[in-house]
Amino acid sequence: MAKAKTRKHSPVFYLFLFPAVFALTLVIIIPFILGVYYSFTDWNAVSGTQVNWVGLQNYTAVFNDVTFLHSFIVTSVFAVINMIVINLVSFGLAMIVTNKLKFTNIYRAGFFLPHLIGGIILGYIWQFIFNNAIPAFGNTIGFSWLAQNPFLAERNLAILAIVIVSTWQFAGYIMMIYVAAIQGVPASLLEAAEIDGATYLQRVRHVLLPLIAPAFTISTFLTLLNSFRIFDVNLALTAGGPAGMFMGRALNTTEFLALNIYNTAFAFRELAQGQAQAVIFFITITTIALIQVYFNKRKEITM
Amino acid sequence: MKKILLMFVAVFAMVTVLVACGDNGDTDTADNGYDENGYEENGDNGDVETPDVTEITLVNNKPETDAALNAFADVFYAETGIRVNIVTFGGETPYAASLTAMFNAGDEPEIFVIEGMTDFVIARDSDRIFDLTGEAWLNDTDVAFNYNGGVYGFPVSIEGYGLAYNRALLEASGVDPSTMTNVEGIRAAFEQIDAMSDELGIEGVISLAAGAGMTWVTGIHGFNGYLALGMDFDDASILDDLLDGVIDEERMLLFAEYYELLFEHSIRTTLLTGGYDQQLGDFAIGRTVFLHQGNWTDPAFAELGIDFDMGFLPHAFLPEDTNGIFAFVPSWYVVNGQSEGTEAALQFLDFMATSPEGHNYMVNEAGMVPAFNSVTLSPEGALSQSVQAWANAGNFYPMLATNMPAGFGMNTLGPIFEQLASGAIDPQEFVDLVRDAVENIGPNE
Repeated sequence: MAKAKTRKHSPVFYLFLFPAVFALTLVIIIPFILGVYYSFTDWNAVSGTQVNWVGLQNYTAVFNDVTFLHSFIVTSVFAVINMIVINLVSFGLAMIVTNKLKFTNIYRAGFFLPHLIGGIILGYIWQFIFNNAIPAFGNTIGFSWLAQNPFLAERNLAILAIVIVSTWQFAGYIMMIYVAAIQGVPASLLEAAEIDGATYLQRVRHVLLPLIAPAFTISTFLTLLNSFRIFDVNLALTAGGPAGMFMGRALNTTEFLALNIYNTAFAFRELAQGQAQAVIFFITITTIALIQVYFNKRKEITM
Repeated sequence: MKKILLMFVAVFAMVTVLVACGDNGDTDTADNGYDENGYEENGDNGDVETPDVTEITLVNNKPETDAALNAFADVFYAETGIRVNIVTFGGETPYAASLTAMFNAGDEPEIFVIEGMTDFVIARDSDRIFDLTGEAWLNDTDVAFNYNGGVYGFPVSIEGYGLAYNRALLEASGVDPSTMTNVEGIRAAFEQIDAMSDELGIEGVISLAAGAGMTWVTGIHGFNGYLALGMDFDDASILDDLLDGVIDEERMLLFAEYYELLFEHSIRTTLLTGGYDQQLGDFAIGRTVFLHQGNWTDPAFAELGIDFDMGFLPHAFLPEDTNGIFAFVPSWYVVNGQSEGTEAALQFLDFMATSPEGHNYMVNEAGMVPAFNSVTLSPEGALSQSVQAWANAGNFYPMLATNMPAGFGMNTLGPIFEQLASGAIDPQEFVDLVRDAVENIGPNE
C-alpha cells in the first residue's frame, strides 16, 4: 500500500518540495561545503585573490593554538554548568507555574520575557548590573566583598556571571517545554499514586519525572547546544575578559569557542584557520549532541 | 529515488546559475550600489566653458567633514572655475569596498584617501598613484606619505595622544608639568597628587581602562610608546626588530614599570571593567587628573559640555627626558595619475594647503589639527589645540603600533597588559610574556 502511494508522487509533489530544498541548499548546504573547502586553503576573503590549497596546515595550526585549546576546555566546563543550572531552574519554575497558584499566567509570561530580549542588549544591561549596581548594592548593605570584587574582573566569577545571564535568558523558554510536558501527564496517574500513599516527592520522582523524560531529552539537548554556541552574551558581557594565564600564556579567560573563532577570523585575519576551527567546532557539538540524545532516549518510557 | 536525485541536480544547477550570475553582474551591481548608497555628490550647477578639465572627483572617508569639504569645494570653484565633486563614503557605506567598486566601474576619482601602507600597496599595484615630489606645500609639512624616495600622500590631518591632563586640577596640586618629561618626574608627580587625593577631590590619579574591549588603549596606543618614544621620527628599528621576533628587554622593563605605575594610580573598577564612556566620564567629572586618550575625545567632551582646559604631557617612561607626544596622520589624500584631471587635482590640494581659505576649512570648519606648519589658526577643542602646539614645536613621535600584525596588539598584548593591571604579574613577568608572544610573530610565521 505504502509503496503504491510513493509511486504516485506527481510533479506537484516536487514543486511543493522545491522552495524548501532550494532555500536549504542555498543558505545551508552550499555555504557549509564552501566552508569545509576553505578550511583546507589559504582563503583570506579578499575578492580577486587566488585561493590556494594548503592541505591540513590550518588544522595543525589550530591544534597548536593554546587559546583554542583553552577555549575548548572553558567552554565545555561552562556548557555543562550552564546546562545543569538552566534545567534545574526552568524545571523548578515549571513546577511552580503548574501549581494551583494565582496569576500563573502572569508568572509564565514574566519568566518568558527575558528570552525576547536580544543577547547583545542583555549582555550590556547585565554588564551595567555587575559593574555598577552590584558594587553599589554591596556598599549600601555594608557587604564590602561585593563592592571590592567586580564579577567581571575575576575568571570564575565572570563565568558565573555568564551562567546567570544565560540562565535568566533561557530558563523561561525551557520552562515552557516543561510546562507543556507536565500538563500532558494525566492527573489520574498522580492521583492513583497519591491514593497508594506516595508522598509528593515520591510522586514527582517516580511518576512525573519518567513521564516527562522526553522533555528532559529535548531541553538538555537544546541547552547544551546553546551553551556551546553562546556568542552574543559572551561578546557583550565580558568580551572574553578578564585576562588570565594558561600554559604560560596570557589570554582571555572567558573567550568561549564561538568568540575565539570570531577573533581568529576577524581580529587576527586568519579566516581560513577560523574556518578550520569552525569545522572542528561543528564536529564536536554534533558528536556531543548525538551521544546525549542516544543516552537520554533510553530513559524515556511510553504510556 | 531517481527523481529525488534529479531534483537535487536541478536545484544545484539553479543555484550555480544564480551564483554565476552574481559574479558576472558584479560590476553592474557595484555601479548601481554606490549611486544608491551614500553617493553624496555635490550638485553640479552649470559649468562655465573653460578649457582643460573643469570637473574632478574627490573621495572622502570622513562623513563628519563632508559638509565643510563641500563648502570648501565651492570656494575653490569660485576661485578657479574647477568643480570638485565630493563623494563621501563612510558610516554605513564601507569606504574601501565602495572605492573599489568605483574603480571597477571605470568611474575613477582624481583624489582619494589611503589610510596606511596596506591601502597604499593596493593603489600602487594598480599603477595609479601619482608622485607628488616637487609640490610647493611639501616644504610646509613633515608628515607627507613617503615611500622609497617618492612622496605620494597629502596629510589630511593630525591626531595625537599622550598623558592628557586637567589643567585646573594639575595646577591645584602644585605639580610643575615641565618636570614630567622623564619617568622619575612622572612618578614623583603621581605620588604627590595621590597624597593630595582628598584635597583635590579625586579618586585616582589617571583614568585608564585596560579590560577586555579596551585593549586598543593599552595594546595599540600604549604599546606604541615602547616602539616609538625617544626615537627619530623615521626610525622604526624597534618595530622592525619586533617583527623579526626580538625585543629590547631593558627598554621593555622600563616600559612595563611605567605602565605598572599608571595602573597602580588608576581607579581600579574603571581600569579592570570600565569601557570608553566610563574612562572619559571619570576624567570629565574630575575624578582623575590625567587621562590616557587622544584628541579624538574632543567632540565627546564638547557633547558633555566640558569646557575646562586640558593639555597633553608625554608618556615619558624612560629615565632620560623625552619631550614629545605621539602624533600620527590617520589618512592621506593621493592623486590618481591615470586621469586627465591630475593637474586640477594638484591645484586643489595646493589651494587647500597654502591658501587662507584652505586653512580656514581645515581648522575652523572641519575642526582638524592641520598637518602644515604655516597654519596659524587653532582648532576649537582643547586637546586638539594641544596636539597642534606639540606638533608645531616639532615635539612628537610616530605611531608605529598599527604596523604590527593584525590582532597582535589588541588580542595578544591586551591580555598581558590586563594581567599587569590586575596585579597578577609584575613588570619582569610582563617582559617575559611579551618576549614569548613576540617570538611567535617572528619570521617563521
